[in-house]
Amino acid sequence: MSLTIKIEFGGGLELLFSNQKSHKIEVPSKIPARERSESERAVDLQYLIFWLRDNLLKERVELFIENGTVRPGILVLVNDTDWELEGEGEYQLKDGDEIVFISTLHGG
Amino acid sequence: MSCGNPAVEGTDAVMQRKPKYDKSRICVKCKENLGKIVVRHAVYCKDCFFPFMSFKFRRSLEPFVNAKPDGPRKTALKPTGDILVGFSGGLGSSVLLDLIHRSYVSPNLVQTNPEGGRDHPRKDRVWKNVNICYVEVSDAFTQMKDNTEDIRHSIERYKGLEFTPLRAQDAFDPSWWAKTDREFDLSHMGVDLTSEDLLLSSISQGSSPKDSLRKYLSSLPTDTARSTALQTITRLLIYHTAHRLGCSHIVLGTCLTSLAVSLISSISQGGGFHVKEEIQEEWAPHSTQEVKSTRSHTNDIRIIRPLRDVGMKECAAWAWWNRVTVVGRESWEWTGSKPGIGKLTKDFIFGLEKDYPSTVSTIVRTCGKLAPKGEVSGQCLLCSRPIQQGVQEWKTRISIRSHNTDDSTPSDSVATALTPYLCYTCHTTLTSRSPRTAQDNPTNVPLPMWATSTHTTSFTSDALGVNKDDDIEVFVGKRTTEEQMHNIVKGFLLDE
Ligand SMILES: [Zn+2]
Ligand SMILES: [Zn+2]
Repeated sequence: MSLTIKIEFGGGLELLFSNQKSHKIEVPSKIPARERSESERAVDLQYLIFWLRDNLLKERVELFIENGTVRPGILVLVNDTDWELEGEGEYQLKDGDEIVFISTLHGG
Repeated sequence: MSCGNPAVEGTDAVMQRKPKYDKSRICVKCKENLGKIVVRHAVYCKDCFFPFMSFKFRRSLEPFVNAKPDGPRKTALKPTGDILVGFSGGLGSSVLLDLIHRSYVSPNLVQTNPEGGRDHPRKDRVWKNVNICYVEVSDAFTQMKDNTEDIRHSIERYKGLEFTPLRAQDAFDPSWWAKTDREFDLSHMGVDLTSEDLLLSSISQGSSPKDSLRKYLSSLPTDTARSTALQTITRLLIYHTAHRLGCSHIVLGTCLTSLAVSLISSISQGGGFHVKEEIQEEWAPHSTQEVKSTRSHTNDIRIIRPLRDVGMKECAAWAWWNRVTVVGRESWEWTGSKPGIGKLTKDFIFGLEKDYPSTVSTIVRTCGKLAPKGEVSGQCLLCSRPIQQGVQEWKTRISIRSHNTDDSTPSDSVATALTPYLCYTCHTTLTSRSPRTAQDNPTNVPLPMWATSTHTTSFTSDALGVNKDDDIEVFVGKRTTEEQMHNIVKGFLLDE
């Protein structure tokens, strides 16, 4: 089972991802348990961020990830809504979701 | 790249998370729609976010359009000249241009004007001409793409604007200077950055403006100084261009977040005296007694940052939802390995804004209340900002200088010092004592045209408003040779 997710990059962030603004990706719907005490859980936005790093990011990881989440100055929209309203990294991905990452680091 | 398990690496961040918004997900304005964005703990739907943002934009701009600032606007907007948008291609200025265009160039497009701009289209434009000025800085770096054409292309969607592209090296180009309203003055002066007085001497012509720009920047002691100097060059090029085009207003795309960055980084470089100007300033193009302008509006130019109440996140959302093209601007990376103060401050403020969204606006509001101590004694030749009275006396006390009037020194060593005409920040920018990263020998360093042209007139007169005799005594010394210097200090030296 996997989910199809639409990813968009804006504000120059696409430069880190082969200069391609729009991507369609497939991620597993469940994150496998690593230890016996853990059960497998639904895939969330946090997982997606690291999935993007490991699978799509071409350069300069420090411009995308910092302290285990997206770097300050990157706005994340989940289906056109600020991810802060959707639980940020805890948001559970659904098939067909559209996730947008916009960099604000290019100043005034 | 790490090969750790993604799910596990995220754990810390997940545990710390708490909601970034107060109360509910319902919009705080209409109390009806589901919210789409969180702005400093408050939730807004799109229908309310757009008008709210353009309200904040107008609130920061319109009270300052008429020559006499009039608080919340009651009278008609009647600027004394045109407007110039300082455009960098970055997020802030792209959003600013979009707002200016919607509000004042083709108001019929406005779906965001809470006062019903669509029902009452303005008969007359507020500003007859809306100019866009872009300064290309790529030639200051070894490997930076020239964005001029991308910028030109990105603003094509806005009709009815005048585009003026410039290059950073124009600041060193006599033919550019001749186009400004100034009295044309070809004084090729170079500065000796190894002297605390910053002695000036004539330099030979011949190097291209681009080489002069590079020599100037590479002669500066630190990467922080280079960034500050290039920023000042960009700002002054825009000011002089606005003056030439007959503008009464310049608007810059500095938003709340980037304003906090520039305030903190300016203060940490000794720019505390300029906090007010960093937020808003009036620039007098004719501060030294000079050519009378033939134009009717000889007033100062007002520089406004209409996005100063709008955070970077709001700008990003506005740009995304309104499909505003953002060309972007490359970060200024110099060859030095250490990040400059500007970069460090930026990282700090962006982190702060993410974790404590209200703190950044507190910083800006607090800075806005600061009242610098001391009188203004003049306008800095390099950056046009006020010089704090007494800052030179203070420097005199802590530095070694000679006012030797002995005529035996050859006359070509008679030099004029630039230092008395600089603000504290610019003096520090040129002379700070950190280990130099410059390869070039920092003597005979070319200066931006406005610095040397004004200098020849101002140093012979009392542009600084100080007593002429004192002026000469303090400021016009003779170049002290190393040997003379040694003679002066030898009484204090211990035998080795
Ligand atoms: Zn609403
Ligand atoms: Zn200055």
